[in-house]
Amino acid sequence: MAINRRDFFKLAAAGSATLAAGQAGASGSEPFDCSESYGVLVDTVVCIGCRKCELACDQENTKSGRAPSTFDDKSVFDKHRRPDKNAFTVVNRFDDPADPAKSYTMKVQCMHCNDPACASACIVGALHKTPQGPVVYDAWKCIGCRYCMVACPFQIPAYEYDNALDPRVRKCTFCFERITEENKMPACVSICPNEALTFGTRQRLLEMAHYRIRTNPDLYVDHVYGETEAGGTSWLYLAPVDFTHTELPVLEAGAMPSLTETIQHGIFKSFLPPIALYGLLGLIMHATREKRDRVAAEEADNE
Amino acid sequence: MKRHILHTAAVISFAILVLSGFTFGQMTRNTQRAHDPGSLNCLDCHTCEVPTLREPCLKPCPSFAMTHTTSKHALSEAPDTIMIAEITEQFQPVRFNHKLHAEMAEMGQDCATCHHYSPPGHIPPCKECHGGEANPANLRQPTLKGAYHRQCLSCHREWSHDTKCVLCHTPTEAGGIAAMGYDSTDIIGISHPVITEPTTKVYLTPYESGPVVTFHHSEHIHLFDLSCVDCHQQENCSYCHDLQRPARLAKTQEEVHAICNDCHIDDACIKCHDTKERPGFTHEKTGWELSRYHARLDCRACHPTGKRISKLNSNCVGCHGGWNQDNFAHAVTGLQLDEIHGTMDCSDCHLDLKFTQTPDCTSCHDDGRTPDDILPGEEIRTD
Repeated sequence: MAINRRDFFKLAAAGSATLAAGQAGASGSEPFDCSESYGVLVDTVVCIGCRKCELACDQENTKSGRAPSTFDDKSVFDKHRRPDKNAFTVVNRFDDPADPAKSYTMKVQCMHCNDPACASACIVGALHKTPQGPVVYDAWKCIGCRYCMVACPFQIPAYEYDNALDPRVRKCTFCFERITEENKMPACVSICPNEALTFGTRQRLLEMAHYRIRTNPDLYVDHVYGETEAGGTSWLYLAPVDFTHTELPVLEAGAMPSLTETIQHGIFKSFLPPIALYGLLGLIMHATREKRDRVAAEEADNE
Repeated sequence: MKRHILHTAAVISFAILVLSGFTFGQMTRNTQRAHDPGSLNCLDCHTCEVPTLREPCLKPCPSFAMTHTTSKHALSEAPDTIMIAEITEQFQPVRFNHKLHAEMAEMGQDCATCHHYSPPGHIPPCKECHGGEANPANLRQPTLKGAYHRQCLSCHREWSHDTKCVLCHTPTEAGGIAAMGYDSTDIIGISHPVITEPTTKVYLTPYESGPVVTFHHSEHIHLFDLSCVDCHQQENCSYCHDLQRPARLAKTQEEVHAICNDCHIDDACIKCHDTKERPGFTHEKTGWELSRYHARLDCRACHPTGKRISKLNSNCVGCHGGWNQDNFAHAVTGLQLDEIHGTMDCSDCHLDLKFTQTPDCTSCHDDGRTPDDILPGEEIRTD
């Protein structure tokens, strides 16, 4: 294929334009509409801190063998806890900054983001968002790079560091089999005596969350955490006071992968930028070889 | 052709009228039979605009606020004890002392403290609306489990700061969960002493120029028509009882002032503070003694606005704005005007429309006649 100098620059310019266009259109990479996916609304105003969700999760998922009475111990609230490989969910107690005598309790677990950063960071596709809502993990694919742990804005995935031969990333499963095959609610939702946890489609949960705020403005802060945070999450929270002092981080509305994936995917869009890059390199090589050949020819002539 | 169209249109219109009349008639009959008189919105109970006998399209449960609270149910109508036995495989039935809780609720919102949604004339038990399974179409409504626990725990954890299952649920032998023992500080099962309503309370305060405050408690309830919660706000169980602090039986000076100031915010200290005990309220104290007709009225008939009783203009037209010469029967004042005076304008005698003062006849009659000897009509009653 004969390609002259002028045509090459045209091609390179077109490739650069495509790359720029790809970066500008940061549209996010949410694979499907999550409004009909399952989610859970955690109402910390209704939560009584009984820790039954921890018990149910242990019996359903982690199966650590702890006695049920272990979970009646309220002294654990004195220390702030995080989910780990043996506890996919933990309940923490927070004091109301305005009135320290009033405290409330909040369960924390994987938020099952609509556009999960962990899945985006995973280089082997061991984590992915299902249309039903849960972000599921496939231990067979996992190579243990733990990029997901770095990527997660909620710092949820835990790792079995003590398992030398077959370590896994551990996080809330959203009881995937229970909700998709057995047609049940997640274990923690099923057991919650006060029904502080409500299981349903994300759209209906958001409607209900805003209804509760609207009908009881004295009880709730006007914010549904997870509606927009990190591009929206399947698990949503209501709280009596502002979320900033809880362990839920203050996050931008956009999904984490929307920036990173746009840049990376933009580079390889339609394969034009790589062609442009390699074309440019080829041109430089060609130019330098011409020069080198000319110099060599001149030297030969001189000799 | 045009005539045919007109005829057809007329027939169709007639048919629509007849049909709608039939539907309306049916609705009226049902309304009279099934509903209490009053202004209920159809859509409070029905899902369709025009419910019929055949298709009443009734909602499974009412979702409008308590409408029967005005006609209070007697406590004797309610069950004394309710056995809640939905999860007998794990726990023994919960013995819920309904009567005791209903008595305690009198300080709050009565039955409505727990029975939040009730149709007129009927207080449904929890399980009439709350089912065992979550309804994906109506996530707002908790299941029976959630409804029970929220009702019980919303108060119980406030004063006990505890959410142990065994406080209410006694495990069955086969349940496998060890009992944690009965907490002797728990007040479950212990009758609350009767809360008596004081008539008058006299306080001795440190305020030097007026140490004595006489508070006529019964007057505020029965005369000024205040309900308990108007002053005793947020005084639920945990207000007095909290296992983490001693029982409180009296209010602080600040709390008392805050409650009184809720209405008496514009009043000076001497409104309440005095050097000696004060008698109760009479209307004469306001400078306007109630006459025979006014004395029969309920306070709220003239002072309808809210908790704070507002001062009224003592001019008749302040309340009786619609009165004029044609529709006012002067005989109710005890004086039947004669023919001549009856045709005169009110302001001819009642100068500047000051009806509280007896008119001065000399402004017209300069011949010395006064109301004492010759009246402008016939005196039919003397007060």
